[in-house]
Amino acid sequence: MLLVPKQLLRVGMTGDVPYYGGRLTPAQAYAASHPRPRPAAPAPRTRADQQRAALRHLLDTGVITPEEHERFVARVAP
Amino acid sequence: MTGPVQVLVVGFEEYSRSGEIMAELTKLADAGVVRLLDVLLVARNEDGRLETLPAPPGSDPDLGRLATAFLSEAEDDDHRIGQGGTDPAVWSLEDAVPPGGAAAVALIEHMWAQPFVQAVRRSGGRMLDETWLAPDDLELLDRLAEETR
Repeated sequence: MLLVPKQLLRVGMTGDVPYYGGRLTPAQAYAASHPRPRPAAPAPRTRADQQRAALRHLLDTGVITPEEHERFVARVAP
Repeated sequence: MTGPVQVLVVGFEEYSRSGEIMAELTKLADAGVVRLLDVLLVARNEDGRLETLPAPPGSDPDLGRLATAFLSEAEDDDHRIGQGGTDPAVWSLEDAVPPGGAAAVALIEHMWAQPFVQAVRRSGGRMLDETWLAPDDLELLDRLAEETR
């Protein structure tokens, strides 16, 4: 049977919502110690920049070899 | 319910039918330490959907019914605050069980804590924090306890 869980309030043993005295909650502390990767750099402005970035991505992900990357980059119009 | 109720979610790579955990909980229930309100077995598919698993053979056929009703969202339910678990004060079962995993979800009433909680309330006390010690801290506590004996 498919189960769609609902959100429940997280409270302490006495039924009170835990109060952390101004400190970070465990979830916030975890998030602070596990920073997410920085957002991607803004998209390149010119068409040539976009093509170079796309080729760089293809190289980074192993779709093309360094030699192919070099060859294709040379074809990109300045 | 008169005692505090805990939702205990025990995860497994694959659900084990050894019954060891149930046996321990039953022992605690028999001793009056806790009351096992219900146990539900769930599996989370790789696509993230949660499914209930059938109760182990020989167990109460109603096992899991209460927990399912309590933990799942009814169609007319307006209790759901929002998906994604971004608010640390709320949680749902889908936050707890990773995709591809299975879990036993127990609703446990802590009978032993009932007088304590009532005493806290009567005296105007407020729980500021509660946590479990990590294994390293537990070892430290053991060592200190040995030294102070």
